[in-house]
Amino acid sequence: MNKTEFYHDGELIEMSSEKNGDSYSVTVGDSTINVRPLGNNLFAIVDNGPQKIVAAVRSQGVWHIDVDSVQLELSEPDESGFGAGAGDHGEKDKVYAPMPGKIVKLLVEVGQEVDVKTPLVIVEAMKMENQVNSKAKGKVKAINFAAGDQVDTETPIIELELETKEE
Amino acid sequence: MGYGRGEMMANKLFKKILIANRSEIAVRIINACRTLGIATVAVYSEADVNAKHRLVADESVLLGPPPPNESYLDVDKIIDAAKECGADAIHPGYGFLAENADFARRCKKEGIAFIGPSPEAIELMGNKVASRVKMVDVGVPLIPGMKTAETDINVFAKAAVEAGYPVLIKAAAGGGGKGMRVVHAPDELQTALEAAQREAKNAFGDDTVYLEKYITNPRHVEFQILADKHGNCVHLFERECSIQRRHQKIIEETPSVALDDDLRTCMGNAAVLVSKAADYDSAGTVEFLVDESGGFYFLEMNTRIQVEHPITEMVTGVDLVVEQIRVAAGFKLPDYMYNLTQRGHAIECRIYAEDGENNFMPSTGKILHYSEPVGPGVRVDSGVIAGSEVTIDYDPIMAKLIVHAPDRDSAIVKMIDALNNYKILGVKTSKRFMIECMLHAEFKAGRTYTNFIEQNMSDRNDLNDEVINIAAAVAAVADETSGSFTTGGKSVAKMPSVWEMIGRFEIGASINE
Repeated sequence: MNKTEFYHDGELIEMSSEKNGDSYSVTVGDSTINVRPLGNNLFAIVDNGPQKIVAAVRSQGVWHIDVDSVQLELSEPDESGFGAGAGDHGEKDKVYAPMPGKIVKLLVEVGQEVDVKTPLVIVEAMKMENQVNSKAKGKVKAINFAAGDQVDTETPIIELELETKEE
Repeated sequence: MGYGRGEMMANKLFKKILIANRSEIAVRIINACRTLGIATVAVYSEADVNAKHRLVADESVLLGPPPPNESYLDVDKIIDAAKECGADAIHPGYGFLAENADFARRCKKEGIAFIGPSPEAIELMGNKVASRVKMVDVGVPLIPGMKTAETDINVFAKAAVEAGYPVLIKAAAGGGGKGMRVVHAPDELQTALEAAQREAKNAFGDDTVYLEKYITNPRHVEFQILADKHGNCVHLFERECSIQRRHQKIIEETPSVALDDDLRTCMGNAAVLVSKAADYDSAGTVEFLVDESGGFYFLEMNTRIQVEHPITEMVTGVDLVVEQIRVAAGFKLPDYMYNLTQRGHAIECRIYAEDGENNFMPSTGKILHYSEPVGPGVRVDSGVIAGSEVTIDYDPIMAKLIVHAPDRDSAIVKMIDALNNYKILGVKTSKRFMIECMLHAEFKAGRTYTNFIEQNMSDRNDLNDEVINIAAAVAAVADETSGSFTTGGKSVAKMPSVWEMIGRFEIGASINE
């Protein structure tokens, strides 16, 4: 019996697995899933309704998985990542570019009140303009770039002062 | 069937073709050259040192740094590369220099054949305003709108009122959804106009845009054309490309459910008329919008081989790139081209590096795992391999998945199965999104309008727990058996063969036993 833990979107998933001939029986919550490794990062799900081939590969502490064309990322618990990817740093008060690119236009000014979905900035990448919207309600505290600047995904373009929630 | 023997003797095919492109289309063209026994030269940028198109070509030449202006768009470097390798023809693929009349002219001047139409035809059709004027002359129907390009917002406002909202702003030099904006009301006009001009300027170096009426519930139906240098021109039926996100096609099919034999003949004849009006002599595509009552309007002619050309190849059996190369060498269209029929149904899904779960944001990264589906009627035109880097430098198309089946329903089933068995990890794709499109009742019923995605796909189901559980179970098993066959993370310690991993098995037995 082998116990494993992963995070998906910040939620802990615990499971136990047991080798059973060429397959493994994995218990996740109420369900038992039989997995048979096929090599080349491919796995067959057997005896669980319609047969599926799943692909899984690990990179930098994150498992990238394709189940029926759904792409998921599961992170290992010893890593700080909660499945956080580019443009999603889990912080609602900082606004990042979804991918490296060039700032086309800033749509807000310092001091301006914003709400969820307020358009904040337009970033151009791969010759397409991508509009980045606010994920929270608050006030623009700082703007760190100007139109025409190149941005990466690590430095926040805009910082917000969030409206404090009444608990 | 087949080519006249006398003609084969009289004309000479090219000996060596340089492919001035990258990714899947470069690989596709190299395959066509191989079919014809022609040697191939790939060009590549510093970002593409390990790219598939470079690895499959007979020879390759480094152009320069990643930015297109210093590599795939640098005419001097490409001409120099062709001369250095002794290439007698250049195939431009799509995008980059494919519809650049100056490049076509330069090739001619240097004594290198350009595999595409004449510079004059490219110029005429490349200018959406000039081509509209020409179409009015030959009597092909057009969508109401501005006859000339303008910059004054007031002229746009007036034209918008005349055509009636909603209206569409388009780049005169445009294509691929870049520099294109739908405007529903007068107060959106200025923002949309500015955005369209900026995108047009960045994508094409020309911020000229124009305005036309936006047709509600239209279908995008285009006709494939093949013409030779002897005045012969045929159409190879339609492709319906209505399923678009951000005005860019993602799912294409042929035949179109919207066309009956009469409309097909009528539109096909119009497409041939358009080509002849432009003295066209290569493979090309005439795009139309079809409205709900079967009315059709000329949109534009694309003077290149198109991304979605494989579905036409599947139903007609014609290798379009091979024929494009032959006509460029001066051959006549082969006899069988005049007796083509549409056999079965074909669908293409474009595999972009983009997040189908997050507004199709471009996705970059290293491809950590790559495996293709196989089977009868399943075709993959791919420009990537495991280990390929998808960067922000170029168009995010990685591959195209094409299926062919006897009818539409079975083609849909086959496509969904093939998508599920097409595994690409490390970058996001829209595979799941496209599956959900094809499972939608409106898609199955053939009600595929260009607004299909906005109308039907905004309300999607959340990830279900079963999928998460399966993923977690696989990760647990992968983790337990890891160090063995993961290619991600640190090192590939040991890569056992499939035969070692699969254990006891019997050929012909089910994997479930």
